[in-house]
Amino acid sequence: MKRKFFIFCWVVGVIYLTNLEAIPVEIRENKKGGFQLFVKGKPFLVKGVIYHPIPPGKDFTHNFWQDLESIREDAKLIKQAGFNTVRFYEPCLDLEQAKKVIRAFYEEGIYTIMGHWLGFWNYPCPFYGDENFQDKVKEDVLKMVESLRREEGLLCWVLGNENNYSFSGKVNGWTFPEVEKLKSPQERMNKKAEIYYGFVNEIAKAIKEIDKDHPVGLGNGELITLDIASQKAKAIDFLALIFYRGKKFGNIFNSLKHIFNKPVLISETGCDAYDAYRKREDQDIQAKFLLSQWIDLYKNSTFFEKGGNCLGGVIFEWSDEWWKHNPSDSSLWGYHDTLGGWSNGAYYFDIKAPRNLNMNEEWFGIVAWEKTNEGFKKKPRKAYYILKEFFQNPANFLNND
Amino acid sequence: MRKYLGLLLILGLVGLGVSGYSQEEKRFDIYTDKTSPSNHYAPSGWMGDYGDIGLDDQSMEEPFSGATCIKITYSAKRTGGKGWVGIYWQSPPNNWGNRKGGFDLTGFNKLVFRARGAQGGEVISKVKVGGIGVGTEVAYPDSGEKEAGPIQLTSDWQEYSINLAGVDLSYISGGLCIILTADHNPQGAVIYLDDIYFTFDPNLEPESKRVEFPFYVYADATSLDNHYIPSGWMGDAQDIKFNQNCKDNPYSGSSCIKVVYTAKVSQGARWAGIYWQNPANNWGSRDGGYDLTGATKLTFWARGEKGGERIEEFKMGGIMGEYSDSDSAGIGPVVLTPEWKKYAIDLRGKDLSYIIGGFCWSTNADVNPEGAVFYLDEIKYEKD
Repeated sequence: MKRKFFIFCWVVGVIYLTNLEAIPVEIRENKKGGFQLFVKGKPFLVKGVIYHPIPPGKDFTHNFWQDLESIREDAKLIKQAGFNTVRFYEPCLDLEQAKKVIRAFYEEGIYTIMGHWLGFWNYPCPFYGDENFQDKVKEDVLKMVESLRREEGLLCWVLGNENNYSFSGKVNGWTFPEVEKLKSPQERMNKKAEIYYGFVNEIAKAIKEIDKDHPVGLGNGELITLDIASQKAKAIDFLALIFYRGKKFGNIFNSLKHIFNKPVLISETGCDAYDAYRKREDQDIQAKFLLSQWIDLYKNSTFFEKGGNCLGGVIFEWSDEWWKHNPSDSSLWGYHDTLGGWSNGAYYFDIKAPRNLNMNEEWFGIVAWEKTNEGFKKKPRKAYYILKEFFQNPANFLNND
Repeated sequence: MRKYLGLLLILGLVGLGVSGYSQEEKRFDIYTDKTSPSNHYAPSGWMGDYGDIGLDDQSMEEPFSGATCIKITYSAKRTGGKGWVGIYWQSPPNNWGNRKGGFDLTGFNKLVFRARGAQGGEVISKVKVGGIGVGTEVAYPDSGEKEAGPIQLTSDWQEYSINLAGVDLSYISGGLCIILTADHNPQGAVIYLDDIYFTFDPNLEPESKRVEFPFYVYADATSLDNHYIPSGWMGDAQDIKFNQNCKDNPYSGSSCIKVVYTAKVSQGARWAGIYWQNPANNWGSRDGGYDLTGATKLTFWARGEKGGERIEEFKMGGIMGEYSDSDSAGIGPVVLTPEWKKYAIDLRGKDLSYIIGGFCWSTNADVNPEGAVFYLDEIKYEKD
């Protein structure tokens, strides 16, 4: 009898431990062709924010992962606003520390989207055509997956971010002998896309061999070259797309049904809080744009429309980063730069800024840094509060849109 | 009782008469005769190559009615280098939206005017109502705008009208605007206008923006089929020279578009491009555009002066603002050949219901360090 009881307890224990290990996240397609994310069996709309809290005076090399106290404070604030997800571009080198951070957020009920840059910022450039380069990146990704896959707070993986911008050479350009043989720049771009997406596909397949519980997303800037991805990266589960299109996303959700019919997570979007034309902080316009973006996201999800293909969105970003306008000049990292860094007519309110440089990279946070006697403290902007209202009762806003 | 019925009948007739009278009175004049006390607005807002234009608002050369009409003489000499002229009828005169004084034209839904050319064949490139200050930061912008044209005149007086149904006319300081272009009138033009007024037509419905295909962005410089205006110059705009009446080996017709990009980086952007917009200079701040639903591709012909010129992108749509394009599509980079070659932008699956940016090209100094000269022709939306 004792033996039977022992075996029973052992079986129950194993089942319990197995369940602890695997909190399945899955994407289901409904009869209308809509896609929805399910976490622990319940429908889940990603209400996310990108978490890269570099404080004034520091640059991207700052290891914020170690500051668990600050992370826990942020997690509470993020939770209070109604977000349910944070997104990281890549974990820190110390994956044990990364686990602690994921857990700190999960204690507040916030899930983590974990990304990997796939070597996009490697010096001198990402050699996606090179086997050795591919092997190293793949090894690093799988090490991350193996280490973090059991975390309850883990939502999904995102491979790359805007790596496709490297195909045209605009960012981190790279080439390969096979590419160099082609004369037409369009053909060269397409060939690079084939190489890159094929590589992502291999990684996605490898991830699924060791982790069947978390969907794998393809990070991509805009819709560019997704037609090629649809042929070469069929193993991915969803698209994690970056769009900076102003107040709304236009027809992209519908377009994607024709280009690459996968669930869509808007993995990076937002609006800066600085008016480069009138030369002043403008929290109102940031709040207005972010709210409008969220209404559009919501309307393209199954929570609003059965056929919706949007899994949710992730706002760029939690807090301002003061190092970004001129990363090479450390003397400016403690200075909140007001110069626009790039131009985007979709943010039309300040497009008349000098040289049309209206995008202020250091002002995208929904939380600002305020200088106090005790140092810099975070202060939520208007956008934080308007999104809080939206998350509490989207219907109020949808009816008035 | 009979007396009572008779009284009712008389009252009814009087009522009908009054009603009929008020129907006739549903009219708001801009111009009837020079000395008419019912005229509103003044032809004070001269634009473009205004040295090329003359206006006589008391011409007695065969007016349509009354003693006078308006005579506009356009020399097309391009004295200001713009290739177009325009006159706004404003209230108060010279008001570009900084002063109060517009009229509430609510209740009217049609602008009617009569026009003729001195010889016949003259073209009014655009007729417009409202639009002053729309999409800008002036204190008193017009509440709406509507434009029509081009209109080819005959030598006889003809009646023309603009359907204003659905347009917010609650505050209009620009009662009328006439645009003439040198492309449409290369030899200049003399035109006459008379009896310009707003009225109400109970049968008018708001106009659909739907179009017929092929729908041209550019056919020929003088073509009345052209739509959208190449007004959105971007980046190092000073590095661009643009001629849409180039006679140097057009692909078809008598002209093509020639673009010279000098790559001097004169404004520091290192790139340049042009958007064809509707209305002109519309970056999404004002209503406009066309419903191109049904088009399956945008096609155009292009060639480089030498071959090897690289255009980073040809596209349509993608202008974002309060009035955003409903979608966008593009191709590129494209390396041009010295011979004409046809290119197509696939529009299948796109939402083309609202397009204010009809066509666009952009390139940069990095891929064209010595600059680039290229030609475009036959830009049009097509349906398979």
